Amino acid sequence: MAQKDSLEELLVQAVDAAKSAGEIIRSAFYQTKLVEHKGEVDLVTETDKKCEEFIFNFLKQHYPDHKFIGEETTAACGATELTDEPTWIVDPLDGTTNFVHGYPFVCVSIGLTIGRIPTLGVVYNPIMDELFTAIRGKGAFLNGKPIKVSSQSELVKSLLATESGIKLDKSTLDATTNRINSLLFKVRSLRMSGSCALNLCGIACGRLDLFYLLGFGPWDIAAGAVIVAEAGGVVFDPSGKELDITTPRIAASNPLLKDAFIQALQQSE
Amino acid sequence: MTQKGSMEEFLAMAVDAAKNAGQIIRSGFYKAKNVEHKGLVDLVTGTDKTCEDLIFSLLKLHYPDHKFIGEETTAACGATELTDEPTWIVDPLDGTTNFVHGFPFVCVSIGLTIRRIPTIGVVYNPIMDELFTAIHGEGAFLNGKPIKVSSQSELLKSLLATEAGTKRDKSTLDAATNRIHSLLFKVRSLRMTGSCALNLCGVACGRLDLFYELGFGGPWDIAAGAVIVNEAGGVVFDPSGKDLDITSQRIAASNPLLKDAFVEALLVSE
Repeated sequence: MAQKDSLEELLVQAVDAAKSAGEIIRSAFYQTKLVEHKGEVDLVTETDKKCEEFIFNFLKQHYPDHKFIGEETTAACGATELTDEPTWIVDPLDGTTNFVHGYPFVCVSIGLTIGRIPTLGVVYNPIMDELFTAIRGKGAFLNGKPIKVSSQSELVKSLLATESGIKLDKSTLDATTNRINSLLFKVRSLRMSGSCALNLCGIACGRLDLFYLLGFGPWDIAAGAVIVAEAGGVVFDPSGKELDITTPRIAASNPLLKDAFIQALQQSE
Repeated sequence: MTQKGSMEEFLAMAVDAAKNAGQIIRSGFYKAKNVEHKGLVDLVTGTDKTCEDLIFSLLKLHYPDHKFIGEETTAACGATELTDEPTWIVDPLDGTTNFVHGFPFVCVSIGLTIRRIPTIGVVYNPIMDELFTAIHGEGAFLNGKPIKVSSQSELLKSLLATEAGTKRDKSTLDAATNRIHSLLFKVRSLRMTGSCALNLCGVACGRLDLFYELGFGGPWDIAAGAVIVNEAGGVVFDPSGKDLDITSQRIAASNPLLKDAFVEALLVSE
């Protein structure tokens, strides 16, 4: 039996919260497909908010002294500073555009930092029923089975993931596509799936070899970063420096590809 | 009971073949993840060929007078000309790179043309267990339930899919990324999933609004998906706006409301 406040018990509660929020997403996911109307963006916002409220209330009930950082609360009230206190960092619905379009790459992402270190991660895709979990030092799992990163050591045989992003100004889009153009000469192929957290999980379970993204919030990576690390992978700043989960920059890969990947990213600037 | 030689019977046989091939893919899919070795590309080739052999054998048994065009047979023996004869056009494993990497977007694609018109389409993703089917004039289905394209009418609210392609020469890659760059200003977001046939099915069931690809492998990538899109109320066309030629290695697809704006955006992106 999991000891109260042990990491195992924290994981159990986080999984419970993720699965319940996943149920909310799953119900709304199929309704969206049937009902096309102008308020589509509003619909998503409602589900996002509903899931975040649910997850926060659920976890606050068990852990009233913990801190909480969520995408929707931050949008409404401004950023909460990350402290050493145990802090739940939550994206209640990652893959918003996919949700609106009925594209099955959506997830709940719940991470816990202690002393600012990502320590626990839960990512749950309720449409494909895939639950990724990890506790620092204890391995990473998909639906309870151990997962590990790929053993690919050659960039040119690697599958790279990134996203087109949400900014449509010329400067950002120019930089994004120039970067993609540069990298396409060096990797096997490119995937864009629309969920940062699920991309990190893809690295963790070996479906992807390389991932980078610029421009997102800590809730998109807090859980995925633990899962990648516990699957034997590495997460870092695209410049090669250490990852700072409060900056909107991340790269991930297996250890064998890291150096070549950083070099390719730097050359793509 | 379906009448011998009827469209419904052709479809039933194609589904059977797709599901059997899907089982081979599913077994190989999880093995690929566990066994990393230099012959990874060989492993895929083995599965591709095994699936194509199985599908052809099954269909030839029932329809010995039909013609067959398959990706692997074409690679081995050269292209077969498309004639008016009933012709099965098969990609035994679309999403080869995904198969190798364990990325769950792979499928069997089986199309039947009659007088060169795509008439029956079956696309089966054995990892996500999604079976897309259509008969000309009889609607499109996902796991037996009717599907239809999205009703999105604005390009800026549309989800676009395309692929990076398999050519890595500067001229092709530059053109590809310039095209993507131009389109990114005009659409909501971009998806790259690695399977042409599944992208077409994505348009058909409304998960995607727009799709284009230039320079894919051959007619086997689109013969089935084209029927499925049409029967779901969508349109398939050449990216220039002209009629689709399934042997041309060029395709675009969308719901009817978006077609004109999409063609314009594609032309401007050249």
